[in-house]
Amino acid sequence: MTIPSFHLFVQTLILGGLVGGVYALMASGLTLIFGVMRVINVAHGAFLILGAYITYELFQYFKIDPIASILITMPVFFGAGWLIQRYMLSRIANPEQTSVLVTFALALVLEGILGFIFQTTARMVTPSYTSDAFIFATYRFPVTRLIGFGTALLIILLLYLILQYTNLGRAIRATTQDPRAAQLMGINTSMISAFTFALGLSTAAAGGSLLSIIYSFNPSSQADWIARTLSIIVLGGMGSIPGALIAALTLGVMEQMTSIVVTLYWSPIVFYFFLFFTLIIRPQGLLGEIIREKG
Amino acid sequence: MNSKIWKLVIGIALLSLLITACGSAATPQAPTAPATTAPVVTEAPSATSEPPIKVGASLPLTGNFSAPGTAAQKGYQLWADMVNKSGGLLGRQVEFVIYDNASNPDTAVADYERLITQDKVDLVVGPFSSKLVIPTSEVAAKYGYAFPEPAGGAPNVFNRGLTNIFFAQPAPSVDQAIPFAKYVLSLPADSRPKTFAVITGDDPFSVSVVESVQKLLTDGGLTMVLKEVYPADTKDFSSLAAKVADKNPDLIIGGTQFEDSVGQIKAYQQAGYQPRGAMFTTGPSLPKEFSEALGTATEGVFAPISWFEASTIKTNPEFVKAYHDKYGSEPIAEDSANAFTVGQVLQQAVENIQSVDNAKLIEEMHKATFTTVVGPLSFDALGQPKGSFMVLQWQGGKIVIVGPDYAKQADPIWPKPQW
Repeated sequence: MTIPSFHLFVQTLILGGLVGGVYALMASGLTLIFGVMRVINVAHGAFLILGAYITYELFQYFKIDPIASILITMPVFFGAGWLIQRYMLSRIANPEQTSVLVTFALALVLEGILGFIFQTTARMVTPSYTSDAFIFATYRFPVTRLIGFGTALLIILLLYLILQYTNLGRAIRATTQDPRAAQLMGINTSMISAFTFALGLSTAAAGGSLLSIIYSFNPSSQADWIARTLSIIVLGGMGSIPGALIAALTLGVMEQMTSIVVTLYWSPIVFYFFLFFTLIIRPQGLLGEIIREKG
Repeated sequence: MNSKIWKLVIGIALLSLLITACGSAATPQAPTAPATTAPVVTEAPSATSEPPIKVGASLPLTGNFSAPGTAAQKGYQLWADMVNKSGGLLGRQVEFVIYDNASNPDTAVADYERLITQDKVDLVVGPFSSKLVIPTSEVAAKYGYAFPEPAGGAPNVFNRGLTNIFFAQPAPSVDQAIPFAKYVLSLPADSRPKTFAVITGDDPFSVSVVESVQKLLTDGGLTMVLKEVYPADTKDFSSLAAKVADKNPDLIIGGTQFEDSVGQIKAYQQAGYQPRGAMFTTGPSLPKEFSEALGTATEGVFAPISWFEASTIKTNPEFVKAYHDKYGSEPIAEDSANAFTVGQVLQQAVENIQSVDNAKLIEEMHKATFTTVVGPLSFDALGQPKGSFMVLQWQGGKIVIVGPDYAKQADPIWPKPQW
């Protein structure tokens, strides 16, 4: 145990907060999909890694900046998400129970294919600004994390605006609250589901691009990331995007702070302890609503 | 009806995809086909009637150790080529069977079981790094196989009562960085560092190297301001780097393989930490990968090294020439040389006793002195080599030997430039 100096304490808060923003983006798609469809997309982590690999390849061969490549990966993932929902998930008889199996299978298939193509060597995208840091009042903001944080918040904000202020968003929220009632009001809920899944996957594309400049990754990293993002949405409250944001920032700060005060070994332990503790007191998560089973 | 058929089709498609996916992920890489890898001497006159001598190895060709693992594979393959071109071993061709263990100790153990019991190889050679050598050497010992290996020098390699291990580098890992520690302590008082930090991955090799440096430096009057052992698969070094930057030690000692040496340095750059000296156990010794990953940030970084390309020690010039003929002009990694050394030890032991009987080989390897690219090599009863390492430093984008005096190519730069 070491008590950090004030400067180190603030610096750690900054690092944790920056990384938490990126976690939030990664988790937002997962929580959105769950909110509308009651489907836990276990393949979310695998799609993050797929996004990271596409970003890596675009950077290696076409020198496309990892942030710019979000403009390519997001539409591609949107399309893929639409197809997966329309032709795979929507055909499952009892999605709330069996979709976990299907998406788990999807995760394993993706990991297998990525492993076959890219092997298990750890990769990282290293644009010229990788080692730069922006300095403000002696505190350092690593450029990659600052960009990651900014981009993540921008996309989450866009997502929030779509959900709050567009007709489409209203339809999505209505479907979240009560699919049957929404259907009776003339909302094409199956289209809404496909759109939501596609939207959720496209945030995974952006998350993957940001991941690729901050962390090294290989195909099996998907398991770490699905564990992390699932914990975030459980803590934040399943289906709540603001909840995911708060939980992600909490996780980010806790991880970094624990490694400063104790060691890196303790980071996951402390977070999971906090998660269990929260769930005992507040089973629905920080901002979640209690879901009533509808007859 | 229709939808049921669809479900069935999708189900079967998914299942078959799953099976193939799992299959490709779990099965080790197919053994390198001897026909394609062996040189064009298939009509070696004396070798036609005799079956080849099969040598087995499992290497980390993917995963955390893939950079050094791939380098080791090149060394092994080159040795086999050179032996085969000069008429083979005991008049028989040498054929390698190599599996990829993805840096996973469990896979490596299964691979050696398979090499010995199913592929029935005549000889085995070791994988890369102590973490994999420790469990796999037990397999070799169980079947009575000699286990010369290129990269397992941690104390735990030698303290398990095994007699079949032969570590083909000049010194065990606890002794590898002694020349560097001596160099630091030899600096004049006004430029000698006063504080240092030890940041090491939780790996038997790295920990043993840095802890012996730690002891020598502390005994020499330096103060250790921070010591951190991080999990081997750590990807995010930012908080560690912030902690190091906060203490701002004069000297940083990193216990690293390859990925984490790059991860640490990048995080130090972001954290604005500029030490006056830096040493990493493995990573800087990889001439190509290290500079590709870090560019100019390599300048002034130190590492212990067992071998260097320009060395004129007996057999080394031949090795260097053959390497470049086969693999091109890229600089040679130390790990390739270490793997080649394993081949040399094995070859000379086999020729000395004119047999591939493993029991006799083990006996011979304990007795003889071998001519290798890292110098004359002999082993004590535990298989520890009895020599010394050198100190390398990155200067002008290249590896340069800066000590000890007998191998020196240039004077060390101290303090190091900013990274």
